[in-house]
Amino acid sequence: MAIESINGCIGCEECIKSCPTDVLRLNPDSKKAEILYPEDCQICHLCRMYCPVDAITISPEKTIPVIVSWG
Amino acid sequence: MKKQDKKENISRRKFMALAGGAASFAAISALGMPIEWASNELEVDIDTLGVDKLSTDVLVIGSGMAGLFAAVKAHDAGAKVLMVSKGRLGASGQTPFAKGIFAYDPENEIVGIDEFVEKVSFSAIGTNNKAYTRQLAEHSLARVNELREWGFFNSSLYNKSFSKPIEERNIPVHERVTITHLIKEDESVVGAAGFSIDEQKVLFYEAKSVILCTGAGGVKPNGFPICDLTHDGTIMAYNIGAKVTGKEWNDGHPGKSENPAACYDGWGDMFEQKPSTTRIEIRHDLGVEANYMAYANGNPLKMGPPGASKNSAGNNGKNDGPQRPEGLVLSDDGPPGGGEKDGNRPPKGEGRRPPKGGDGAPPGMGGGIVGGSSAGMAIHKSEGLVPINDKCESNIPGLYAAGDALGSYMSGAIYTQIGSSLAGSAVQGGVAGEAAAAYCKNIKSISISKSKMKELKAEILAPMKREAGYSPAWVTQTLQGIMIPNFVLYIKKKSMLKGALAYIEELRDHHMPMLKAANFHELRLAHETANMIISAEMKLKASLMRTESRCSHYRLDYPDMDNENWQAWINIQKGEDGSMQFEKQPFGQWPNEAV
Repeated sequence: MAIESINGCIGCEECIKSCPTDVLRLNPDSKKAEILYPEDCQICHLCRMYCPVDAITISPEKTIPVIVSWG
Repeated sequence: MKKQDKKENISRRKFMALAGGAASFAAISALGMPIEWASNELEVDIDTLGVDKLSTDVLVIGSGMAGLFAAVKAHDAGAKVLMVSKGRLGASGQTPFAKGIFAYDPENEIVGIDEFVEKVSFSAIGTNNKAYTRQLAEHSLARVNELREWGFFNSSLYNKSFSKPIEERNIPVHERVTITHLIKEDESVVGAAGFSIDEQKVLFYEAKSVILCTGAGGVKPNGFPICDLTHDGTIMAYNIGAKVTGKEWNDGHPGKSENPAACYDGWGDMFEQKPSTTRIEIRHDLGVEANYMAYANGNPLKMGPPGASKNSAGNNGKNDGPQRPEGLVLSDDGPPGGGEKDGNRPPKGEGRRPPKGGDGAPPGMGGGIVGGSSAGMAIHKSEGLVPINDKCESNIPGLYAAGDALGSYMSGAIYTQIGSSLAGSAVQGGVAGEAAAAYCKNIKSISISKSKMKELKAEILAPMKREAGYSPAWVTQTLQGIMIPNFVLYIKKKSMLKGALAYIEELRDHHMPMLKAANFHELRLAHETANMIISAEMKLKASLMRTESRCSHYRLDYPDMDNENWQAWINIQKGEDGSMQFEKQPFGQWPNEAV
């Protein structure tokens, strides 16, 4: 869903900085970007467009996790 | 205590309170129900979080087009400037997706400025503030020329060109910082407070003047890139006594039925295009005509040319639907409601995609057309802080706003001049920057008291301190379910507005104080959600108050324009008892002249 995969990340953090909704974070161990909050992705592709190595694949489809009834 | 133990303990305590005792708890537990559903599994040690305090003359909040010019012009007028952004310079809010920018060049236009202002006023049915419409035309070319110098027109991505003037002036930019509070001491603004997601710190900014360039907002709808815009600036300002306007208006951008959450795909490759300039082209778009058609005929919309909807939307045909100016003639190269992203429509000629035939979709949009993609947002520059003059100044000394955070009514309560949204943000940013810098020269010193800092730190971190509560995601979904329906937000009537208001007041009184956050991402969501709830309350109450139909506000129970009573804007202010107060401000007057 939304951002599908990141392959070939060089850890420059361009995508993390450019995401308007804080979907991506740098993994402290691998030093590569990871998709942490996909439910907040607005599928605007800024991360992909700012990525200097074309590492990001995005799908137009989006599903969000089922939320429990009372909060 | 191990994490699992803690989870069980908190849940048990909370659940027992809710279920009324051990017997009930045991019974539910035996049924296999999860018992940790509401507990807050904190991922941050809030007791050791750092606090920083910084000082500047002018604090610019927001880093889109308005923020860029606010920072540059305040600096050039002699002020020490600091910019803070929830996102990234040139890559947050609506700026990165806006591709058309209006430049009024008197050398190349037949229409003079006076005539331009009158034409906008005609299309806007008097709802525009002529001082700001004129200012747009007068300043737009100069701002566009500066952007050209910085390389703005050479790339589809704006971070680099925005960084050029900011770096040349050594203006510090704090990115990924969420500002949650404005601070007022002795009736004047003295700064702001919030937190850094990356540094995991609470931040205080002492500032002689603050310029809100925070954009407008919505309710995080699908299909429009505004999920980072939640009226933050407007609500922060309202909370310290600023007047707010424009909450009854709607932006009627449609979305598409196929993959409705995919903003990028909805606009074809427009987001990848380089920006370009637009010339005078005044429309009457992006109101709620498409919503009316969907209300009458169902989705997806069968689109006709603009203006056709009045007699084609079912019912009896005569004067059905939203009010248009008498005698309005429009070109027929777009669907009702515009469909093309605000001033962000690619200009004709280079880069313009030919309209797709057949399905009635706007250029670049695939699938059937459905309404509500920008739900919760008003027409650009029709909502936000009430300006007390043409300097983007609010009623709080030292507090300015520019762009979509300022209710300047530059274009009125309907979308008029193509490309004016981006241009207007540039123009107003510049005006606000210079005005704020001039204001600072008369301010000797300011400070935020320790007691205020303590109080605000507690408010900022409150969602993290709750052991249990409501997740921002759940409250947001509930809010969307209340507000987005066509028969609540767009095709309005008293019964539904009142019904929705009862739900929103419940969220405000009960759920907002119990929003929880386990980490800084959720902390941002919690504050955003609270802002959306207050904005929703404003929207419903202002919509109830405006007992007429005009431009992008449509009342099914008051379908006609009421020029006797409603040649006026609605201002909202927090009363001394904390309640939401409303006043009318006649068109063409400033608030201090209002009755």
